[in-house]
Amino acid sequence: MKTIRVGFMPLIDAAIPIAAVECGFAEREGLEIALVRETSWANIRDKLIHDLFDASHMLAPLAVSTSLGIGNAKVPLAVPFGLNANGNCITLSARLYRAVEEILGHAPMDARQSAQALKRVIDKRKLSGAPLINFAVVFPFSVHAIIMRHWLRLGGIDPHNDVLFQVVPPPFMVANLSEGVIDGCCVGEPWNSRAVESGVGSIVAFGADISRCAPDKVLALRDTMAAQEPETIYRLLRAYKAAAHWCQDRENQGNLAHMLSQPQYLGVAPKTVLNALSGTLAVNRTEARSMQDFLVFEGDDINRPDPRKARWLYAEIMTGLHKPLDEAQAQEAATVFRPDIFDAATGNNALPESHDPIGLKFGPAFDPDDLQAYAGALMQAAE
Amino acid sequence: MMDQASILIIDENHVRATIIQDGLREAGHANVRWLNETSNLLQRIADIDPDVIIIDLESPNRDVLEQMFQVSRLVKRPIAMFVDQSDSASIRDAMLAGVSAYVVDGLRKERVKHILDMCIQRFDVFSRLEEELHEAKTALADRKVIERAKGILMTAKALSEQDAYALMRKTAMDQKRRLIEIARAIVMAGEVLK
Repeated sequence: MKTIRVGFMPLIDAAIPIAAVECGFAEREGLEIALVRETSWANIRDKLIHDLFDASHMLAPLAVSTSLGIGNAKVPLAVPFGLNANGNCITLSARLYRAVEEILGHAPMDARQSAQALKRVIDKRKLSGAPLINFAVVFPFSVHAIIMRHWLRLGGIDPHNDVLFQVVPPPFMVANLSEGVIDGCCVGEPWNSRAVESGVGSIVAFGADISRCAPDKVLALRDTMAAQEPETIYRLLRAYKAAAHWCQDRENQGNLAHMLSQPQYLGVAPKTVLNALSGTLAVNRTEARSMQDFLVFEGDDINRPDPRKARWLYAEIMTGLHKPLDEAQAQEAATVFRPDIFDAATGNNALPESHDPIGLKFGPAFDPDDLQAYAGALMQAAE
Repeated sequence: MMDQASILIIDENHVRATIIQDGLREAGHANVRWLNETSNLLQRIADIDPDVIIIDLESPNRDVLEQMFQVSRLVKRPIAMFVDQSDSASIRDAMLAGVSAYVVDGLRKERVKHILDMCIQRFDVFSRLEEELHEAKTALADRKVIERAKGILMTAKALSEQDAYALMRKTAMDQKRRLIEIARAIVMAGEVLK
């Protein structure tokens, strides 16, 4: 049996790579998978590019930035499968949340209201000469950073000048919130729930409030691997497709929560995992909120990698860095997402693509054919 | 000859950090510091302003360092991961040893390579020590289990200590299993029959 090494971070969105092994979907395809748990996205990237992994669970923007050589040496990667959409939250520290409540006179009702109230808090702080607010995300190139910027713009806040961004690894988020090192963060579960449970933060937005199907984590390979061993990759993708279907089935939620909670995977209580799977989370001390598509594992929009999504990621990476876009580079980015491999593996007959590959719920419309206009509108929205 | 490049070690493992510091000092690097407190890490790094950063790969904080690659208002001098493109094997060695190096732009490659090689060596030494410690601990735990199993047999079958041990040995040999496995089975049975 062929053995391949697959890296993963201990996160709920590693569900598909884990279930593919645990439920026997990989074995059914004649594949033996050695799952390797990692502690940082930087390790994942480096082990993948230096051939210590054959494939890995990866932040979608990191697959694009690595392929383009942004932030590191350039190594072309291939993304033949999307692992999930959404699943992250924006959480404010208890202190900043109180300031937002004070401005409004009540708890914020939705993502827009909280962002607008935050804008007024920031303006007030500016007048009093208080230091800038500090927000944390899990990696410079992450959908978390992108979502955070969109949410800030929704309130009229300039993500480049009105706040500071820093990277904090998820396991340290709660401590950083409680010590006042950061004032808010965008992170996946269970870290938001942990912050709410321990009274150090409140959730003000779900990732799904910002976009319907922005790519969050993907399966990434070296593109040389994709070319040299297509048959192995096809098997892997068929196993992942079956696993995606199994993970999405609400009937399996209890089993999946139990599976992920094991010490060799996430090592947290099954109940904590179940929050995110069911999409019902306590958002502050008194309220809970449910959202059907809080975290989605399966769908044509999600698993089949759409090159237009890679173009969107490229535009977001560059505006995040305050750098101009380059059409040649955008085209290169698009080639990282490989629907051809997905189709060859699954026998998918290129479905009609959805009109909008990202499903942003507000702000400038995304036109994959006119990235300049989109990036320009984003920059303007920030002013 | 003393090398004045300032080296910062980020490692939450006290013992390993000490082993690395000693190694670097012995090799003539006088300017070595160790950070074990990693909250607000970037600010701490900016304050120290090192030429070389050595970080263990087990630390989730590697992702914090990734910010330094973008021009950050926090870092005074541009810093990058040390990657010797001409030598992929040494990068793999470093990763397998569990260490990664970041360098300030412009530092000579040979100097950094020398530092990194020393760290890889010391990481390997530490792993071996850890393995030996683990083995010693396991051996000790095993001996305790065997002692308990012996005690159970002595009481249950009214055997002398020597006979109880001989019985376990013989059972292990007959069943082609390890002595510790037999001892564990006896202890488990002893719990159930209590």
